[in-house]
Amino acid sequence: MDERNLSKKKNIIYNIVAVLILIILLFPLFWTFITSLKTEKEIFLNPPTWYPHELNTKSYAAQVETGDFNMFKSFFNSFVISSGAMAISVILAVPASYAIARYKFIGRKAMLLGFLVTQMLPVSVLLTPMFIMFRNLKMYNTWGAAILADATIGIPFSVLILKNYFASIPAALEEAAYIDGCTRFSAFMRILVPVAKPGVIVCAVFSFLYGWGDLAYGMTFILDQEKRPITAGIFNFMGQYGTKWSYLTAFAIVAIIPVTLIFIFMQKYIISGMTNGAVKG
Amino acid sequence: MKKLKDFFRYDNAGLLFIFPAFIYMMVFVGYPIISNIFLSFQDVSVKNLVKGEKHFIGFENYINIFNDGVFIKALGNTLLFTVSCLIFQFLIGFLLALLFCKKFSLAKPIRGLTMIPWMMPMTVTALMFKFMFSTDVGIINYILRKAGLIKQNIEWLTTPGTAMIAVIIANVWIGIPFNTILISTGLSTIPQELYESASVDGANALQKFVKITLPLLRPTIESVLVLGFIYTFKVYDIVYVMTEGGPVNSTHLLSTYSYKLSFDLFQYSKGSAVANVLFLILFLVGLLYLKITMEGEND
Repeated sequence: MDERNLSKKKNIIYNIVAVLILIILLFPLFWTFITSLKTEKEIFLNPPTWYPHELNTKSYAAQVETGDFNMFKSFFNSFVISSGAMAISVILAVPASYAIARYKFIGRKAMLLGFLVTQMLPVSVLLTPMFIMFRNLKMYNTWGAAILADATIGIPFSVLILKNYFASIPAALEEAAYIDGCTRFSAFMRILVPVAKPGVIVCAVFSFLYGWGDLAYGMTFILDQEKRPITAGIFNFMGQYGTKWSYLTAFAIVAIIPVTLIFIFMQKYIISGMTNGAVKG
Repeated sequence: MKKLKDFFRYDNAGLLFIFPAFIYMMVFVGYPIISNIFLSFQDVSVKNLVKGEKHFIGFENYINIFNDGVFIKALGNTLLFTVSCLIFQFLIGFLLALLFCKKFSLAKPIRGLTMIPWMMPMTVTALMFKFMFSTDVGIINYILRKAGLIKQNIEWLTTPGTAMIAVIIANVWIGIPFNTILISTGLSTIPQELYESASVDGANALQKFVKITLPLLRPTIESVLVLGFIYTFKVYDIVYVMTEGGPVNSTHLLSTYSYKLSFDLFQYSKGSAVANVLFLILFLVGLLYLKITMEGEND
């Protein structure tokens, strides 16, 4: 709103207010992290301690060992599943969004509408039919089932985001490529995709995050704990050892490592994805 | 052959580019949607899922779920959950957006950090809130006790009523960044001159907000609310991980109830019917959203 520069005093007040709000908002994360470094005994102390008096890293160490506490394996599973879903989403969505942005082909509007509707779909509608389908395809209980299912979230999102990027590239750029002897496909690959790269990164990041956050597909289509993603691992663990909070909070922290890294290195893509994906639909 | 080449020469060349994605979505989304509709008119359970005869039983599943107290409860819960989440996340998100549009020095980095809750896996968020709301070690009970608001620990997640409050709070936490960022973007599109000339005319801050900000922000507010409704109405993970719909079905949403019917009780057809009701409601709201967004776009 008011873009006039703030006076020094006002600047300080606003900063303090904003920092306080941030502390309240991110308190759950801080608390989870602190708890993951406490001993089980200290967690149950009353009044609670605000920092670990006795530093306990056993909950993290247990995760690379074998047995029930081995979250390392689930982390790897999640990584494979999310990367697979990301690859499928990007490879299919990039040409599709280019088509929607540039060509007025038969059925364009219906397909665009289709992608929009898919974004609003609740997972419960797809779960049972997919479950039966993956059983018939002999893909039940494999990473592949979760990858294929997770990509159905990434694709429509990516198409809708990227079509705006492709639409904003001047048509003259493409025409110049044709004059230089490019075919439609080579112009697309060599000229347009590199120009739309920021958009492609947004799509890759979001498709990965959707896969990483998924619980329903990973839990339903994969039966063996050995192959399940980390979200399903955490859910399982909560069911079995409901109050082992030191382990549970450590798992939570490990599960958000990729999210934190993506946030640190790709923040501007995240914000761009959130705004473009929703407002322009 | 030549005819085919001519067909794909100009605008229909787009079909070649969209074809792979289109086929993929038809197989993994289109087919399941249709198949789910068929399923909801059959009597599929664990006995005849893979082998055996499936019978068409018409609207029996739908009649059954509407006579099922838990379904009606879940429908009401879903509405209560969605509306409560929307109100709180919208108001808090709006206030934060108003704060961050002031140009103080840390505005951008702090606004960035508030996005984190939105990016986290919902399972992790649910775990964190389950821990904070737990009866004996929960920090929330401790803070409330310290503040003198309660004398005895509340059993948040095992008491109907308070369990709903807990899942709503967890979901609002996720929803705030989404509202903040969209409203921030909306605010940044309002031309600065409007505020300046209003100041010249002697308008105070409240007048400027009511007469300039709100009317110009209307399209943004509409899409934030409708999209928020769609996303919240189908929420599944948060509730499933925190309470699994309990205690005594008090936090069951349509999504969690549908999952329970299909994958805990193996009543696939009944679960499908519940999922379709959920889908139908979202579809109608989705049409409203499309009407809003397509108004501006003419392509």
